[in-house]
Amino acid sequence: MKYSFLIISWFTFFNSYGQQIDQDLANVRGRLDSIESFTADIVMDVDISFINMPTKHGKVSYQRGKGSKISSKDFIMLPKRGLDLTMEDIFKYPFITVQRGLENTEGVLCKVLNIIPTSEKADFSIATIHLDQNTSRIIKLQVSTKKEGVYTSLLSYSNAKTILPSLIEVLFEVSNIKIPLQFLGKETEVDKEAMKEDGAKTGRILLRLEQMVIVP
Amino acid sequence: MMKGVIRVELFKILRQSKTLYALVAIFIIEGFVLVSAYYQGTEIIDLLLANLKDTFEFKGDLLNGNLIIYMILNSLWFHIPLILMIIVSGFLTSEYKDRTIEAVLLQPVSKTKFIGSKYLVSSLFTLLVVFLLAISTFGISYLVFGKGDLVVYLNGLNFYPTEEAFWRLASAFAVGTLSMLFFSLVSLTFAVLFKDATKTWIVSAIFLVCTNLLLKIDFDNSILNRFFYSKLIDSWQYYFYYEIPYEKIYINMSVLFLYCVFVSIAGIIVFKKRDLLP
Repeated sequence: MKYSFLIISWFTFFNSYGQQIDQDLANVRGRLDSIESFTADIVMDVDISFINMPTKHGKVSYQRGKGSKISSKDFIMLPKRGLDLTMEDIFKYPFITVQRGLENTEGVLCKVLNIIPTSEKADFSIATIHLDQNTSRIIKLQVSTKKEGVYTSLLSYSNAKTILPSLIEVLFEVSNIKIPLQFLGKETEVDKEAMKEDGAKTGRILLRLEQMVIVP
Repeated sequence: MMKGVIRVELFKILRQSKTLYALVAIFIIEGFVLVSAYYQGTEIIDLLLANLKDTFEFKGDLLNGNLIIYMILNSLWFHIPLILMIIVSGFLTSEYKDRTIEAVLLQPVSKTKFIGSKYLVSSLFTLLVVFLLAISTFGISYLVFGKGDLVVYLNGLNFYPTEEAFWRLASAFAVGTLSMLFFSLVSLTFAVLFKDATKTWIVSAIFLVCTNLLLKIDFDNSILNRFFYSKLIDSWQYYFYYEIPYEKIYINMSVLFLYCVFVSIAGIIVFKKRDLLP
């Protein structure tokens, strides 16, 4: 009986605490939601051990309600997740937040929050967000998606005021490519030991945003 | 005098209907390879990017003229040498067959100048064929499939922007020309040795097949692995490494050029010493 009381109390406490959306996160969301549209030039570098790709250039344009569009005259590879600058995917469905305390992230003392969606429609199971309370901006975001693995975004800003980052570093898991022997070219080395290992590797994409024009 | 002999040899080549047939055959093969490259290209891109599709979105089309040229380049290094070897060896074997060689050498033309001009004209013909092939490959591929980034799998997935892809492909064609030249000169030397067209063609075909097989065989000797002729034939592939090993390419080309000189000199010496009768 004593234990039942404790368990019920525990659930009641965390449920009432978790249902509320953190005020700092609400401030960030408010700032991001105020963006009507933006455009920027993008400079992208891919850092994946088995891919050699030169720096790519393109343009990104965002319109509220329509999402972001990236265009380039080059061939570009974009991670499916991690480039959601306005966090629309995170805030799309109802969620609850759980405070995880303070943590020094990229030299900034951040408030760490878990975002747990309450709708089954959400395509992620949990997100951890590191907020700079002073500037009401996101410094780090880690999202565990239901289908596309875990990805981490690190965001840097060009000045103290802007809400959109000027540099995004996206870290994600990527499976190594397996090529049939007939497609292997001259002196292509086949590392049998490496092939036996799990093919998942960490990939990194650096995206710089330049000439950004934000329409509030 | 040598100029005159060369001019006559060029005239003979241009007048021979089999030269035209051979050129047409090369372009028909190119057409077939082009069509198959288009279908194979889709398959290769799907295969290369299959594991990445879960993580990435792709913007832009990789099935473009540059990929088609790269695939044609890969496919042609067996078909073109085969046809070149047949035509070039025919330059001499037909002279034996028609006994025109005797008529020519009854003139005040030395055997060295005669066979030397054959080697020279065969080289010019090879250069012309590869040049026409390159022009038509680039022209048709860019015209039909347009330009775009080139993706190649060589020790990793390498992406090259359009401009870079063009000069890499053009350089590969240029380096590959020396390989074609080697095969042409070898076939002419075979013609000197065997005199008969059918025997020469069979030996040339066997030589080509063996070369392709030897290319993949790992010798238990580092010098053979590095400098045996079969290991130098596909040096053009180095242009598709992300960091191009220029020094290796230059050394390979120099050694292959020495092979060409050696094969030609050997042919000239044998021709000088042998009887003209078939």
